[in-house]
Amino acid sequence: MFLRILQKDLKRKRTTNIILLLFIILASMFLASSVDNLIAVNGAIDHFLAMSKVPDSIAIALTDGQNDEIAEFLHEQRWLSEYEVVRGFNLINEDVTIAECQADPAQTAYQRTNTLFIQTIPTNFMKVYTEDGEELTLKPGEIAFPKLEADNNNLQVGDKVSIRVGDKEQEFRIAAIVKDAVFGSSMMGFKRLFITEEDLSVYDGQENLVYTGIYNVNYADEEKFESEWKKQDFRVISAIDGPETIRMCYIMDMLVAAILIVVSICLILLAFLVLRFTIVFTLQEDYKEIGIMKAIGLKDAGIKGLYLIKYLALSVVGALIGLVCSVPFGKAILERAIVNIVVEETQQNFAVNIACAAVIVGLVLLFCYASADKLKKISALEAIRSGSDGERYRAKSRLRLWKQTKMRPYFYLALNDILSSVRRFGVLIVTFCLGMMLILLPLSAANTLKSDGIISEFSISPSDAYLDTGRGETYTVDMDSLFRDMEDIERTLSEHGIEAVTGADMGYMIPCYSDDPEDCVTYYTLQALGSWDRHYSVLSGREPQLANEVMITEMTAKKMGVGIGDTIYFKMGDRTQEMMITGTYQSMINMGQGYRVSRSTKLDADYAGGIMNIQVEIEGMESEEACARLREIFPDYRIEDAKGALDSMIGGIIEQIDTLMYFIVAIVLIINSLITVLLMKTMMTKERGDIALLKSIGFTNRSLKGWQTVRVMMILAVSVVLGTLLSNLLAPYIIGPIFAIMGATSIQLVTGTVEVYALYPLLLFAVTGVTAALCSGGVKKVDLKEVNDIE
Amino acid sequence: MNTLTVKDLCKTYIINKRQNNVLKNINMEIREGEMVAVMGPSGSGKSTLLYTVSGMDHLTAGRVDFFGKDINALNPAQMSSLRLNEMGFIFQQMYMLKNLSIYDNIILPAYQSKNGRGKEHRKQINDRAKELMHKLGISEIAEHDINEVSGGQLQRACICRSLINQPKMIFADEPTGALNQLNSKEVMKELNRINAEGTTIMLVTHDMKVAAKSDRVLYIEDGSIKGEYVFGKYKGQEENREREKKLSVWLMEMGF
Repeated sequence: MFLRILQKDLKRKRTTNIILLLFIILASMFLASSVDNLIAVNGAIDHFLAMSKVPDSIAIALTDGQNDEIAEFLHEQRWLSEYEVVRGFNLINEDVTIAECQADPAQTAYQRTNTLFIQTIPTNFMKVYTEDGEELTLKPGEIAFPKLEADNNNLQVGDKVSIRVGDKEQEFRIAAIVKDAVFGSSMMGFKRLFITEEDLSVYDGQENLVYTGIYNVNYADEEKFESEWKKQDFRVISAIDGPETIRMCYIMDMLVAAILIVVSICLILLAFLVLRFTIVFTLQEDYKEIGIMKAIGLKDAGIKGLYLIKYLALSVVGALIGLVCSVPFGKAILERAIVNIVVEETQQNFAVNIACAAVIVGLVLLFCYASADKLKKISALEAIRSGSDGERYRAKSRLRLWKQTKMRPYFYLALNDILSSVRRFGVLIVTFCLGMMLILLPLSAANTLKSDGIISEFSISPSDAYLDTGRGETYTVDMDSLFRDMEDIERTLSEHGIEAVTGADMGYMIPCYSDDPEDCVTYYTLQALGSWDRHYSVLSGREPQLANEVMITEMTAKKMGVGIGDTIYFKMGDRTQEMMITGTYQSMINMGQGYRVSRSTKLDADYAGGIMNIQVEIEGMESEEACARLREIFPDYRIEDAKGALDSMIGGIIEQIDTLMYFIVAIVLIINSLITVLLMKTMMTKERGDIALLKSIGFTNRSLKGWQTVRVMMILAVSVVLGTLLSNLLAPYIIGPIFAIMGATSIQLVTGTVEVYALYPLLLFAVTGVTAALCSGGVKKVDLKEVNDIE
Repeated sequence: MNTLTVKDLCKTYIINKRQNNVLKNINMEIREGEMVAVMGPSGSGKSTLLYTVSGMDHLTAGRVDFFGKDINALNPAQMSSLRLNEMGFIFQQMYMLKNLSIYDNIILPAYQSKNGRGKEHRKQINDRAKELMHKLGISEIAEHDINEVSGGQLQRACICRSLINQPKMIFADEPTGALNQLNSKEVMKELNRINAEGTTIMLVTHDMKVAAKSDRVLYIEDGSIKGEYVFGKYKGQEENREREKKLSVWLMEMGF
């Protein structure tokens, strides 16, 4: 009998059951693939860092190619278990020419993504692997490119590049695209090319070479080594604290999987809400049958079993389909995530998928069991009377029609339905509201990252254009060339009738301490250069103005235990410079650590680490126009607006968030549509009698459709308002901490007025409205004679 | 003038590829201000006749004219307008929307009509609704929920709703079928009063006492009208016994 009732139920509520099944499929597919991927990516990063042999600490310093005091220091150290010095040199855009490019045969100019370094194949530390996970081997005349660098220039295996330094020029065939564990991720601002020892030596002794040393160290005693290191006055341009810091750089690779987990959790929540909605409706619809079952002596547990069997069947089928789909779906997502990582085949674990699918089945049944508890409250008599025990004296209607002087009846019916059954429709309001929040929260992060003001959180003042000459490293050894370039730019622009000022922020790696000279920390110290006298944002206090004044990030202040008015000391060789803290600021570069000094502070050029770009401010010209003009005048330079400059610095995060946004919006629209179909079908099944009655008293199909559609739109409107309010309220607590990790401790999140208050609500209204309008066509099928079906 | 003219009306259902002729060549007329009862055994096609001639169900063949207008030629919107403005319906079950109070249920069709827009029109509707409720003796239940009132009160509320747009004709399907004797009497009293005021009524009933209060009784059997009994206007309860007796004899002759 149970099977027959189940069969009948599955057939009768076909649409409802199909939508519920879809939610279970989506929830299990998303959960299984995302959890599996997160574990896989996490495991893969560990595995990759281990197989690449990432050292405990890495330092990068510019050298003169002969004397190397860091190498000497390391050689003397007994607190190390092992160390290695990798030598190579930096390349600027002009050094590299594309000789043969299959993807774009006309392309010759090379555009590096960031600081570019060329070295021999690493054999001990920081090894690199081909895309197939093989160790890299090269023959003379061959070169290997990291994935991001190759993609940026449309290069692939077989293409040819030419590298010219000074008088020496060699052509190389790209033999491999490699995965570089340490510098391969988008967050790392340093990329390595690899050639043979023989080819590298050809360039030795060339005048223009910017020699760089990479120092890889494994500690024997970390504390003692650190103590010794801090006493030194080495001019490093970058220091990386081993695997943990590198792991942080793969955060974007895990972000996709993490967001998918959040989406799947939301889907599970939505599946539960839909489930509850469906169960409650089913129970209400089945009052009569339940009553008869109770009247003929079936126990609550037996009737509950009937519903549990149905939902067990649905959830098992849904979870199985979701499980099967999770494999290709997860693989597709993983392939996107593992661009920079070598993953073992075994790391994608099917057992995890099975466990996730089982969790979904368990949760659905548990929830169904709790929801079906309502059965207990239904007596046989009550059930037979369609939920009415005859003892209800409270008026149900919340809104009086006779008080409405203008409201059309269909609109009134819709509004009164919602107000009279707040709990029932509340579930849907929560569901739509969750969808809205799912869009608005990441949107807030994306808009903040895309906002004009965000550039100042990266220690750069907003300007019309950001210009990369490709000679960033040359400026560190010859700072006068930077001033010459800036003057040249201004002069050239002036010749074209454009009045412009230029500026750059030179970063120095200067050891600094507050109390103990032997306890130095080395973070980026920025100093504004150039003719453009600009200002930087301050959190508290004021900008440094005198030579002995410094502004410090809040995170560094916290780390050093200092505040405004305190004194810190810069150690530059034998000279120690006393600096007074005049203000604090925040910065999203170098994980929030750093200092800024005034223009008049005398810093030792030996500590210069480079500039990010030259900023150009043009009078009376908008950024877009300024960039376009600059591109015409300086075709060899990379010229970007604030968004582009930011994108270069943070490695395409904005683009990835945008892609994710599209994905989330698509998911939310699909969910909303499915829920709308479910709601309308369920409501129309329940209201067939009411619809027939309204038809019999002269309501047109159009009015009835209006009633059904407007009701959904009202629910959506409330949800959109609630979702927007909650998102605005919760964003600082959900999105704020993500920015705080990157260094922006008190970020002003950007809402994006048009998107939040117009674009996305309109999109939701349009899609949901069309779905509702299409579904409301069902009222046509209701026969007037069904007025006899009213219970 | 005829309110309703039915010519060669046929209604056929096809169930499991089997043709079921529920109404066969029905011809009838109902004049303006007349009250006609339709009687017959269960399954004879009484309700189907009522639903078909009122446009609630489609006819298979024939023609139904409502004030000279062929209702079969009307599109769904025109038919809705006809039901809204010129017809009233009373059902055996006291169908009302659960989410609305009694009063709001009554005024709903009027608010939906073209004359239901604007503050002034709505005021007139409310005045009319109050007057109707007063006449039918249910003023005190106006703000009640539909579960809070008796069956008789609810049926009278349904009658109020059917009258709110001042229809030309009322179709009633067993209006007293779910009521006890006392409530049944009250409802019939109201229907007679409405009819006396000029509204045409066609009602389907099993109850001889109800039918005896009509001007004319049609007897339907097996989808065809087998006979007609003309009483003339009902004048009051003093006629009841006599009319019921005559009807009873006639119905026995008809085989009821």
